[in-house]
Amino acid sequence: MKRKQPDSGSEDEYRPVSTPKRQRTTANGIMNNNLNGNGSPEASPTKRTPRKSNAATPAALKESGLKTPTQRAKAKALFTTTKSTTVSTPTRARNADRSAKKKSARLLLEQDDEEVWDGAYRLAEEILEDENDAPATTADGNKEVKESVEASTEPTEKSAQTPKRRAGRPKGARNKRSPTPEGELPPHERYFFQNRAGPTHTSNNTLNKVSLLTHEEYFDTLARYTDPCKREKEFLLDLHHRSFPQWDFEFDQGFNICLYGFGSKRRLLQSFADWLHQKHSPASPSIVIVNGHTPNISIRSIFATIATAVLGADLPSKLGSQPVEVLELLQSVLKSRPSQEPITVLINSIDAPPLRRAVNQALLSRLAATPMIRLLATTDTPNFLLMWDINFRDQYNFVFHDCTTFAAFDAEFDIVEEVHGLLGRKGRRIGGKEGVGFVLKSLPENAQNLYRLLLTELITMLDDGHNSDDEDGGQGQGENNAHNETGIEFRMLYQKATEEFVASSEMMFRTLLKEFHDHQMITSRIDASGMEILGVPLSREEMEGVLEDLVLS
Amino acid sequence: MALSLLESEAPDLSRDGLNTQGVYIYRPANAKPNKPQNERPPKRRKVESDGQEKQEEKSQGAQARPFVPLLNGEESASSVDLRYNAYQRLWSKQEAKIQEVLEDVDSKILEEVSSFVKESSAQIYDGCIPSALVTVGSNVSSLGRLVTRLNERLITSGEGGVVVLESGDAPNIKTTLKNIIRAAVTNTEGNDGYQSFLTDREGPRLLAYDLDLLGDYVQRKGVTKLVLAFRDSEAFDPNLLTDLLSLLSSWLDRIPFTLLFGISTSVELFEGRLPRSSVALLRGQYFELHEASNCVDRIYERLQADPDGEFWLGRSITGVLFERTSDYFYTPEAFCRTVKYAYMSHFFANPLAVLFSKDSASAGLPHGKLCQAVRNLPSFRALCEDLVEDGHSKQVRNLLENDEYLFQECLKYLETGQKQMRNIFEAVKSTHTFLKHLNLSKKIGVSDISILALSGELHNSQIVNDILNTMKTLDSEGLKGLLATVPENLADSPQVREIQRDFEALLEAYPNSKPLQSGYDNRNSVAKVTVVQQRVQVTKSKAKQPKQNVEYTQILDRFHATLGAYFAETLVGPQDLYLYEVFLLDMRYPLKDTVAPRPRFAIERALSSPFDYLISTSDTPENRLSAKQPVTAILYQLYLESGAIVNAHDLWSAFYAVFESDQGDECDERVIMALFYRALSELKALGVVKNSRKKVDHIAKTSWAGL
Repeated sequence: MKRKQPDSGSEDEYRPVSTPKRQRTTANGIMNNNLNGNGSPEASPTKRTPRKSNAATPAALKESGLKTPTQRAKAKALFTTTKSTTVSTPTRARNADRSAKKKSARLLLEQDDEEVWDGAYRLAEEILEDENDAPATTADGNKEVKESVEASTEPTEKSAQTPKRRAGRPKGARNKRSPTPEGELPPHERYFFQNRAGPTHTSNNTLNKVSLLTHEEYFDTLARYTDPCKREKEFLLDLHHRSFPQWDFEFDQGFNICLYGFGSKRRLLQSFADWLHQKHSPASPSIVIVNGHTPNISIRSIFATIATAVLGADLPSKLGSQPVEVLELLQSVLKSRPSQEPITVLINSIDAPPLRRAVNQALLSRLAATPMIRLLATTDTPNFLLMWDINFRDQYNFVFHDCTTFAAFDAEFDIVEEVHGLLGRKGRRIGGKEGVGFVLKSLPENAQNLYRLLLTELITMLDDGHNSDDEDGGQGQGENNAHNETGIEFRMLYQKATEEFVASSEMMFRTLLKEFHDHQMITSRIDASGMEILGVPLSREEMEGVLEDLVLS
Repeated sequence: MALSLLESEAPDLSRDGLNTQGVYIYRPANAKPNKPQNERPPKRRKVESDGQEKQEEKSQGAQARPFVPLLNGEESASSVDLRYNAYQRLWSKQEAKIQEVLEDVDSKILEEVSSFVKESSAQIYDGCIPSALVTVGSNVSSLGRLVTRLNERLITSGEGGVVVLESGDAPNIKTTLKNIIRAAVTNTEGNDGYQSFLTDREGPRLLAYDLDLLGDYVQRKGVTKLVLAFRDSEAFDPNLLTDLLSLLSSWLDRIPFTLLFGISTSVELFEGRLPRSSVALLRGQYFELHEASNCVDRIYERLQADPDGEFWLGRSITGVLFERTSDYFYTPEAFCRTVKYAYMSHFFANPLAVLFSKDSASAGLPHGKLCQAVRNLPSFRALCEDLVEDGHSKQVRNLLENDEYLFQECLKYLETGQKQMRNIFEAVKSTHTFLKHLNLSKKIGVSDISILALSGELHNSQIVNDILNTMKTLDSEGLKGLLATVPENLADSPQVREIQRDFEALLEAYPNSKPLQSGYDNRNSVAKVTVVQQRVQVTKSKAKQPKQNVEYTQILDRFHATLGAYFAETLVGPQDLYLYEVFLLDMRYPLKDTVAPRPRFAIERALSSPFDYLISTSDTPENRLSAKQPVTAILYQLYLESGAIVNAHDLWSAFYAVFESDQGDECDERVIMALFYRALSELKALGVVKNSRKKVDHIAKTSWAGL
């Protein structure tokens, strides 16, 4: 961040000389977006609300973005003139010079860090050569602060001397060192460029000021949104519907089908099932639908369901615990019934995490290779082909169709949970307060009492401001996470539970806790001293809400 | 009471409720209300039995064709049926050919392996387990075919059977043994047999992985050979394999095992992975399977160049097929399926394919639409232009106005076109034999020549030139051989017959001389080296030829000219034939994407330019980032411009700014936040971002577009 400014400044001036690539870069409008993405928050670090800072910049940039190349060419000329002609305000200029020199010296010392920017390096040398009494100061803590202040002012001063340039260039553009300075880098170059060694250059903004969504809010707000592309998406879906007869023919010829492309294909699959059912109306084929995203889905259950679809009442009471056994039973049954109508198996997201493992894929591919089984699988990830080697591909015998739908993955995974996991802000249980309340209602009174006890204890602890001793390093996470660290020791809760006649034995106590654990209503961790700490993955308000409901009911 | 309550709830659950289930049997949303919705197991039974009853009814009625009417849905049902029948007829013919080739390819190795299995035994090998090491190379699927056929043989002869073991079946020793035993028993007894075998026995019940079971089975059935085939032996855990081998060898006196290892790398590598003690337990023989490409080449030749061909694949499809074979180690089966798919797509989607049907002429179809389609063909236009140039404008008028006439002409042109295609492939085949005969190049296969021929370039190619040039230097023995390989319809031509006659007469006239030499042969020319003014000059001059050689050279010249003319006449570009659209399929694209998709490219494209997919109704089809795009696409484009790690807050503000600049003050921050959540979670599910531990609230980029 700090060493960035001289880089980008010099880079601008030197580009036409050192890297001729630059000429064709900026015309394509990517600049604008860069600024939207990265530049603007850096440019206005004082601003608190993102709303304002961004509202101003993109509009301004969009106009200027296209003009930049010509300005660059001019900028070079202007730069040389400022050097050669006498400057109007000598002191200011000297200050600027000095600051530039300091930074140049530092740059020269630390050059191996950033060899990519040889433009900057060369400029640094030049500045130093200008006057040979370069104060080769290395960076200590104090100076860094000072320099960073100077750094932000210095280019402004320079440009103040060249008013033309000032007018054409928006404020943010100069300070940014975009991670993609070359709009037209080939992909591999871009990869190496962005993964080069050195410190990362992102702003220090965090999401602490932004209040994140809860599940309830997410669904509430989303209900207010109307999709601008709704008609187009419907049309796209309609196009896919038109290939249903084709898919049916492909099934008929012994192929299995794999649909790929962006968007959830659940609805498409559902309507394909409807269509198949209708088309073969009197003797509708058995259709088994699998949702790959369901957690804990097992291959055995898939096979068992297919076996049920085939055998109906004749299903043997004992199927065998291994999926292979069920599969072989299925295969032998299908072999022994030549008049059996084919079974259609529709798998949503065959590349979903629960099904992704090679063992599962091997089993599924054997299922697919079974005659009389017609398999249609959808995939969501871009690299799903990597799951299958030549053997699997041979057994699956897929034909592939691009079925981009752009539909949202609402049913596939828990969006809020995913995002919080991505941002490292996990700990909000699925369902939140309502979910916990719902589960509690179905539990026996004892369990309810235990949960009430647990909540009361936790809230008391929070009230005491007694954030237990073992809370370590969670400070940066902000107040949201603080309560997660609060927990009650296992023994202590057990003691309280026995006192209140909730649980008479530890065995019983554990059984109750296990129920909570299965529903993710409690968290448990081992602290430094080896004690088990129990907590609740709810915010304080939610805890109070649940407690209230518990007491009232 | 409670029951009725549940029933009333059921319809609501049918959509959403089932969706949360991992796996379920589909039931239509508009199921008959009189069936109780909530009793699941009995319901299933009912549907099942219903289905079967109705199926019987249906099988008596007409089976619905899987084809749909084309020509905007105006194609008649009979025409659809004809098309479907034509497809079935044509493909079943081709499929039989493929099977023939595959069986033929494998037959030799099958004989070898089965004789090995028959003859080897532990006694011969000093108590070692007899094992066959089969290197399959890239030809992975061939082992499967081999093993299946071996199994059939052993079962029919009652000697035993083959148990195929894949690495997936062997997670640990117990499961492996269990799988082996079960597979061995079910192989002959069936699944029920296995169950009863497990339960109906005297004495203490044995566990399913006890080899005693297998020993018992072997004894009861009198099995003399039990082949255990490790399909992908490299993928097995070496420790497990070691344990398994020592176990098997200790049971060898009771169970007659023979092992068969499929090896994709090399025997040395395979041996290197096992400890020496295990290797010492094995003794056997080494077999090598043919490479897949060889087999694929033969299949292609049979499919395309057979003299009874009716339909051909064009140049680009051939290119796709062979590109895949060489790049990705396509198995022959996959190759055939791709060919099948090409056939399928032609007959499914091309209404003109109805002309293939033998009874299309007599069926009395309404030709109107079909003829209109024919008139739009590029090759039909070329035909008309040619006819007009030749002054047959009346005929053209007839073609354009008279449907019945056009239809009859179409059938005629189809026939001549097919004949010409057959000739082309005959020329291709003979080019191949000439190449082999003249020892020109062994590497060039039929497929390479076919690609040239299908693009109409073979005639002017190096290959044909080489053949013609080399041919001129042949001696009489060589020519004799060459004449014997000349394709039939060329050999029948008067010129060739005459040549043949003259040639035989010449040979009879000089029965005792050495083979006649060609005048073009370099051996007959004498190189003279002279030094003229300190320069070396090499002059070649023809040695004086004996008379018979001169006569022979004349014959050669004639044959050369005839052959050249034959190539020039036969090797026309298939795209220049009239109505080639009917009997030649040459569209690369649907096929290529169907068999070798590029999903990553598709997803990247969908996200970076969503309006390629979403046909925009608005009047601003610009590529600028705007709130009108799908949310994930917006976020993805912002993401593309970011560096290796991304500040989530900045990403959010940029995302917000996109909406704000579009909608002004009307936009609701929380709604946009919800959209941001959705987009971000989708990016995560696509695997392009992941959590980063480098900084707080940062996410890491994991995919670079275009790589």
